[in-house]
Amino acid sequence: MLVVRAIQERDLDGLMELARQTGDGMTTLKPDRKVLGKRVEVACASFAEQIAPPQRDYVFVMEDTEAGRLAGVCAIKSAVGLDEPFYNYRIGTLVHSSNELKVFSRMETLYLSNDLTGCSELCSLFLHPEYRKGHNGRLLSKSRFLFIAQFPHLFEQKLIAELRGFQHSDGRSPFWEGLGRHFFKIDFDRADDMTGMGKKSFIAELMPRHPLYVAYLPQEAQDVIGRVHVDTVPARRLLESEGMYYEGYVDIFDAGPVLQARISELRSLRESALALVDPAPAASAAGEPFLVSSTVLQDFRVIVSHAGGGPNVSDRIGLSGAEQALLACAAGGPVRTMSLNPKKPNHA
Amino acid sequence: MFVVRPVETKDIPALAELGKVATRGVHTFPKTPSAIERAVERSIASFAAQVEIPSEESYFFVLESSRDRSIAGAAAISATAGSAGTFFAFRNDVIHQVSRDLNISHSVHVLTLCSDLTSCSQLSSFFVRDQQAAGQETALLSRARLLFAAAAPHRFGEKFFASLAGMTDANGRSAFWEALGRKFFQMDYLEAERLVEGARNRTLIVELMPHYPIYVPLLPGEAQAAMGQVHPEGELPFRMLSEEGFEPDEFIDIFDGGPILRAHKHALRSFSSSARREVAYMVTPDDTPKTSYLVCNAREAGFRAVIAECPRLESAESIVLSPEAMRCLDVVNGDAVLCVKL
Repeated sequence: MLVVRAIQERDLDGLMELARQTGDGMTTLKPDRKVLGKRVEVACASFAEQIAPPQRDYVFVMEDTEAGRLAGVCAIKSAVGLDEPFYNYRIGTLVHSSNELKVFSRMETLYLSNDLTGCSELCSLFLHPEYRKGHNGRLLSKSRFLFIAQFPHLFEQKLIAELRGFQHSDGRSPFWEGLGRHFFKIDFDRADDMTGMGKKSFIAELMPRHPLYVAYLPQEAQDVIGRVHVDTVPARRLLESEGMYYEGYVDIFDAGPVLQARISELRSLRESALALVDPAPAASAAGEPFLVSSTVLQDFRVIVSHAGGGPNVSDRIGLSGAEQALLACAAGGPVRTMSLNPKKPNHA
Repeated sequence: MFVVRPVETKDIPALAELGKVATRGVHTFPKTPSAIERAVERSIASFAAQVEIPSEESYFFVLESSRDRSIAGAAAISATAGSAGTFFAFRNDVIHQVSRDLNISHSVHVLTLCSDLTSCSQLSSFFVRDQQAAGQETALLSRARLLFAAAAPHRFGEKFFASLAGMTDANGRSAFWEALGRKFFQMDYLEAERLVEGARNRTLIVELMPHYPIYVPLLPGEAQAAMGQVHPEGELPFRMLSEEGFEPDEFIDIFDGGPILRAHKHALRSFSSSARREVAYMVTPDDTPKTSYLVCNAREAGFRAVIAECPRLESAESIVLSPEAMRCLDVVNGDAVLCVKL
């Protein structure tokens, strides 16, 4: 059975194994034992509340308890851009208009910005290919929303997620070719690697500092602004269904969209609820899938359960013994629940 | 003999004829009857004005044949390019980019809409009817303006510039405009030039043109190649201005990317190498070696300039002019003239 839980020191080997599976494109999850070891250390200290909230990095792993291996990883950074600048392009509008000539030109512009500095960030999501089925992807990604709903005070008001931008099947990024390449004279992968390694000063050194008119970019580059990689389309849909939305911020290299939301607007803040584990559950048919989490920071755990139960605080939820074990909770204890899938909008 | 003199009201029909054939290379040349009338009136008022600080004056000259009084060309010089407005140009800046982490070091050119040239004096509207057949009189027309400035320096700025037509194809399409101006103006290059009458000091320019710098590497290659390139029809003025001391530098035209030649007045031959001499008529032996000089009568009202063949002036206190030259210049023995070697 699968459980998403706060990472522990002993997970480093499993994490290395996962990192080896990621291939290119995951700058925050390179199979580098030293880097990952440090990250695990920070994550454990974060869950133990041994470091200040803005420095925290909550890393979660998905464990296959039967196989005894790690199936996936995901994380929430408390705040981005506090150690080194966090860059994005903000898409703005400039109107150039002349009454005399009866000309009205609406020009889109890209502003290099650090606007998202201090936001909390969803990041480092990776699910092992063998586990990409059923509810697994949603469990892994959405577990973080339950965590935020349980501990909203640990996060900044705003939550963001950077999504991978559009690339051709050969890995070429039209946006990079149309813009970044002129200023960096290197390949996209290499530039992306440098940022992953934390060498971001070159961005300030080399990126155009003035706002750019989108109309000057090649059409192909213009077309992919705010578009995600083909493989990232489901992830985007998932995050949007949880209340995150694109508001005109994109990655400076590949123009992939940044999704954002106020914490208070997340579905998990509105719809998730506390429930008590029913000591004497009535036998019932399997209901719709629910995310159920423990309420303990240091040993936070999330599973998918079909045990049913309602989203009201007074509700009781009938978890099986195995499920209780996965959540490390006992009958009568509190859990947080939320339907795995958002309710279909009412078409009244 | 050709004479350069200030334009007069009677020249309007002749200018209208010139305007009809003035090619697309000279957008600053007034083309409609009302524009011609305005330019002539403004010039007459400018010559008559008592100037303390150069501002809106614009001096319009014609090239006249002394034989049949026909007008062979015209040219203008403005006291300040901005006149009552702001003169806009693109400044081509270079940003040096160095990253030690990436071991990258290169330069990026950036075009910035600027008003730097607003208070400079501007040469404009240069047009000769038959450029191919024309001889020294084109140089006379072009340089007489600067001789006038040298004779009346208080009417002009310290710096001078001329904007030359940029590259366009046979249909009048400008690659630079297509890549840049069109995005903001949403119209063809020639249409835009017609609407602004070749001016670069109109409010609509600041309304429409980009406020933020344009990164040159983002422009199509064709547009980059057109930057600072002069239209074939501008090559003659380009050569004459270069000989005078003008140099292309970091400014280019905001519409077609044509070069803007610039010089401090001390770098101009009309200022630095011109000399004042008294007119002395005398018969000289035919074998006296002679040199071509641009000579003007150094008057603000009734200004005249001609090309004269006369004995070398280096060690002479006076200049020997032919009776015809004296008549054209409207000078007599003892009058002062300003001369510079052609």
